[in-house]
Amino acid sequence: MTEKAWMLLLEGAWVTLWISGLASAMGLVIGLAIALLRTARIPVVDQILAVYVSLARATPLVTLVLFLFLAAPTLGLSLDRYAVAIVALTINTSAFNAEIWRTAFLNFPRDQQEAALASGMTPATMFANIMLPQMIITSLPGLVNEMTFLLKSSPAIAIIGLVDLTRVTNRISAVTYEPLPPILAAALIYMVIISVLLKLQSLAEKMAGRLAM
Amino acid sequence: MSDLPAVEIRKLSKSFSGVEVLRDIDLTVNKGEVVSVLGSSGSGKSTMLRCINWLEEPDSGSVFIAGQRIGYNSDKQRPMTNREMAATRARTGMVFQSFNLWPHLTVSQNVAISPIKVKGMPKAQARDLATQLLEKVGLGDKAEVYPFTLSGGQKQRVAIARALAMSPEVMLFDEPTSALDPERVGEVLQVMRDLSGEGYTMVVVTHEMEFARMVSDQVVFLDKGLIIEKAPPEIFFTNPASERVRRFLDRQD
Repeated sequence: MTEKAWMLLLEGAWVTLWISGLASAMGLVIGLAIALLRTARIPVVDQILAVYVSLARATPLVTLVLFLFLAAPTLGLSLDRYAVAIVALTINTSAFNAEIWRTAFLNFPRDQQEAALASGMTPATMFANIMLPQMIITSLPGLVNEMTFLLKSSPAIAIIGLVDLTRVTNRISAVTYEPLPPILAAALIYMVIISVLLKLQSLAEKMAGRLAM
Repeated sequence: MSDLPAVEIRKLSKSFSGVEVLRDIDLTVNKGEVVSVLGSSGSGKSTMLRCINWLEEPDSGSVFIAGQRIGYNSDKQRPMTNREMAATRARTGMVFQSFNLWPHLTVSQNVAISPIKVKGMPKAQARDLATQLLEKVGLGDKAEVYPFTLSGGQKQRVAIARALAMSPEVMLFDEPTSALDPERVGEVLQVMRDLSGEGYTMVVVTHEMEFARMVSDQVVFLDKGLIIEKAPPEIFFTNPASERVRRFLDRQD
């Protein structure tokens, strides 16, 4: 592969990384917000969020990307392709993250909460100082796992013409007539990124294991 | 203010799904008094203790902590807000059967966090307070470790230091030695004995007859949600008024 081809690959990798990364970061926060709202069990809001989570989890990412891209103008939204991709990925990942956060919230030991309340903490103080720090640690393995899923499904954004790490291999082979080297190189780059995430996940699991004792 | 009882329970009743756990309980705990609460399991003694700081909300009746009603804002004639509730609970300290330490915080942080977050105490001052209280319970060398490295008895002593850190009007102990290995019970009871010597007001739900006999000023016996005996330990253990207490005592030892 030429230097030019490698440059193109890295550009594709960058598109994959920043779009997935941004969607993951927003998905973490939005997922937590959804989980908190759901545990508050506000009538109507709870049902709406439950439907949102089910729909977002049930829709294939490609379908969601394409749907948003086609629906946006009809809804009077002028979103560029990048915005559509980020919104679609965020909708998808925040639904999965919401379930991870919600499980952590529901499984949080009742006796630790009682100790916090008994010592004079308000529910908000307790959440910020006792619950959230531990929920982050116990949820991290699942959250990082979800990040790897999102990254691996991100080639779906090529359907609306974005050139990500997978799509770019097509471009390269169209010039070189050698499809194998670029797709192998792309696979290698995915593996490097994922292995960094997996390393993070095993660290997170160690921390979570310490809490459980 | 100082003449008011540390805890006053009036006409407290509580049911769990139709079963009456507490029936019209009245109890006064004076400042500096140690009250042991005895009774077989299911007698309602833990529920009574948990009603004192409103971890369990009674169906009727009222509880006063050093004169202040808990759970209900008497001035404004409405239930307390979360913030009012927290401020009132802060005047009590609770020690649980299963310690309930916060595993993500060091021993020192477990003790210091409530003074910092609830009372707004400066961090350095709270750390000093934690050091001082941990030394008091014999764990001065454990300040920087995490709870999972401690034995049950050590965890429970940390939990006592954590409750003391809020300088409560009353310390509530919910079977503090029931989850401990037999050889660890003594170190926790010793700390509690020391506290009573220092004049702390304590309400102790326990199965430790020896502790009730030696340390308490009053022994209260609950049966089926009623206080059926309240007496100083000299009388309670030698000449109880009720047949039920006599049978209970016979079955011990």
